[in-house]
Amino acid sequence: MRVDPFYVTNLVGSLDQTQLTEQQLTAELSSGVRVNSLSQDPLASGENVLLLNQIEQDDSFTQSSSQVQGQLQVADTALGSVVSQLTSAISLATSANNGTMNASDVKSISSRISGILGEVETLANSSYQGQYIFAGGKSSAAPFATSTSTSPAVTTYSGDEGVNYLTTPNGQSIQLNVPGDQIFTASGSNSVFGALNNLVADYASGTVNTAQAVSDTTALSTALNYVSQKRVTIDNSITQLTAASDAVSSEQTQLTAAQTNLMQADVAQVSTHLSLAETQQTALEDVISQLGSGSLFDKLP
Amino acid sequence: MGTISSAFSLISQALDADQSGLSIVANNVANASTTGYTEEKPNWQENQPIEVNGVSYGAGVTETGPTSVRDKVLEERLNQQQQLASASGSRLTALDTLQALFTPASGSSSSTAGNIGTDITSFFSSFSSLEANPTNNADRQAVLSAAKTLAGDVSNAAASLNSQKSALDQEAAAVPSQVNALTSSIAQLNLEILSQSPNTDAGTLEDQRQQDISQLSQLIGVNQVTTTNNGISITTTSGQLLASTGESVPLTTGTVDGVTHFFVGTTDVTSQLATGGGSLGGYLTARDQDIPSVLGSLDQLAYSVSTQVNKLNNAGTDLAGDNSNAGNIFSEPTQVAGSAAAMSVVMTDPDHIAAAGSGKGTGDNTNATAMATLASQTIVSGLTPINYYSNLVTTLGSTVSSVQTENTAQTASVTQLQTQNSALSGVNLNDEASAMTTLERSYQAASQVFTMLNTIMASALNLGEQATVA
Repeated sequence: MRVDPFYVTNLVGSLDQTQLTEQQLTAELSSGVRVNSLSQDPLASGENVLLLNQIEQDDSFTQSSSQVQGQLQVADTALGSVVSQLTSAISLATSANNGTMNASDVKSISSRISGILGEVETLANSSYQGQYIFAGGKSSAAPFATSTSTSPAVTTYSGDEGVNYLTTPNGQSIQLNVPGDQIFTASGSNSVFGALNNLVADYASGTVNTAQAVSDTTALSTALNYVSQKRVTIDNSITQLTAASDAVSSEQTQLTAAQTNLMQADVAQVSTHLSLAETQQTALEDVISQLGSGSLFDKLP
Repeated sequence: MGTISSAFSLISQALDADQSGLSIVANNVANASTTGYTEEKPNWQENQPIEVNGVSYGAGVTETGPTSVRDKVLEERLNQQQQLASASGSRLTALDTLQALFTPASGSSSSTAGNIGTDITSFFSSFSSLEANPTNNADRQAVLSAAKTLAGDVSNAAASLNSQKSALDQEAAAVPSQVNALTSSIAQLNLEILSQSPNTDAGTLEDQRQQDISQLSQLIGVNQVTTTNNGISITTTSGQLLASTGESVPLTTGTVDGVTHFFVGTTDVTSQLATGGGSLGGYLTARDQDIPSVLGSLDQLAYSVSTQVNKLNNAGTDLAGDNSNAGNIFSEPTQVAGSAAAMSVVMTDPDHIAAAGSGKGTGDNTNATAMATLASQTIVSGLTPINYYSNLVTTLGSTVSSVQTENTAQTASVTQLQTQNSALSGVNLNDEASAMTTLERSYQAASQVFTMLNTIMASALNLGEQATVA
């Protein structure tokens, strides 16, 4: 049986192979990553792209939602203040309507309600980071202005009906704002400014037209309830946002763990393979140095 | 006739034969490390016996010359396998360079192309951030910045692919000159073998011819056809004649559509060469199939993202009040091919990002929402942008992985065949040592016989008398 006289050359080829294996394993250990090139695990590489995408989207949403949270809180606080202002206005109007006041007291009620109207107008023109939050889409300019050229005065809305939504990574839409006219100048007896302006006009002269004043006071109560209802929309958004934020946060944690598992090198396994490769290499080197020498010629006399 | 002088001549023939055998052994040992050298064995031929008066007398031995120990079928199989291994080897080298552009995002190495998957995500996320705060200048700048990163990485990747393609083109174009040198050498050797040994193994000339064919097999895919008078004709795997006896047909190059094509005579054999084997086959497969495939996918991605984003931007209202004509964010591509290399951001003023819906106030975020939603719409060949990229990456990885497997198997097969071939044809020093010892002893024996014959001759001359001849 004949033998390849160059088999030692082939052993050297194997030596190259073990060195290459050692090199790859060392790269894995030092980077901590199992998949250093696409061909090592094509499916994992593709999966990795999708996981990182989802994680980044979740992270981006978490940042956006804390920004938006602030805006919604400001809206909620403003509406809360509006409610307490309107409550004072109602009690002032009621006291003026009971007929026990004199003309100058009634006039002072009118100017106090006028002051309240100014407060409410300021609250309706609230802004957050430079943008007016009750102006719908036209957030660069204050939406409400009162013109005293007529009596009763008229407060007009110059914003629009734009409603912004924030989309969560799961596709849920969260309402971010309510247009000011829907809160403050709604139709009929729901109009806050309408009722306030009317009451200011009712008490301005000092004499009270009781039927008119009572009807306007009732309108203000109706408007107050209406504002509270609208406030619920904002509160719901805050709740939804908190819930979505929490869900996204925990999803991000899970996905990060999944991505780490997918791509991370199993240090124990890699170390074992590396030590096996090193052993094999040492053994090969010894074999080559032993076998490389000698033939029958050395033994002939 | 059985005389002493005929015995003398028999023995001198034996001595000559042994000397000739020893010189063959010496030649083997001298060429033990020569590449392509096939071990030669001496041939001993008994001379025709002479018949005189009905009695047969042996006529000694002649050494008729060396025979090379080779298996032509084995050599041909080795060459075939070498073609396959060379092809997958050079294709693998090209593919490894290609896949380095798309290293997975948590990998340790960086490439000039950054990571396109991360860029796609960041770009669409920047619109999600804009949803929360449509008029904020910092968020708008972030959109443009993310767009620039995406466009930069995509165009860099395309540029790298194009330059790799031309590098492969140059490597491929350098092959024909080597091929032509080898084919004309083979044709010349065919001629010499025809004149020197048309019916038997041609020894050293055959070694040279096999060496040439082996080198040729590493370069391109060839078929061998044995012809009359110990000739070997070489054709490409698709049948074009490259070398016959005394005549060789050169492989020429020419430029077609900006890439090098290969011709035998006037026939364009480029696509046949790509599938034929050899390192040229590997280069051509990488150049004409693998790279264009990835480049095509990048082009599709760039085209779809650029056109869809531009379209949406021109359907909304920007901060400057432009409605439905806010302008393009990316340079608008005219066709799919080449859009990756040309991808760039043309918008400089972040105020022109149309975050608001058409006709709405500037604080509206409808259009920003729509642009963010593009990330989950099937705008790139029926897939979302990130799914498309994920597919690209998986497909490329699978291709490289399967070529690696092929190459490992083929290289192992080549090694095995080489081992078999060396076992048969390689010079085994132990065999030569024992052959040499045998011949040496045989020579010693023959010379002893010669000495004895000499003594007998002297006795015969002296015819029993005490003599002057010793």
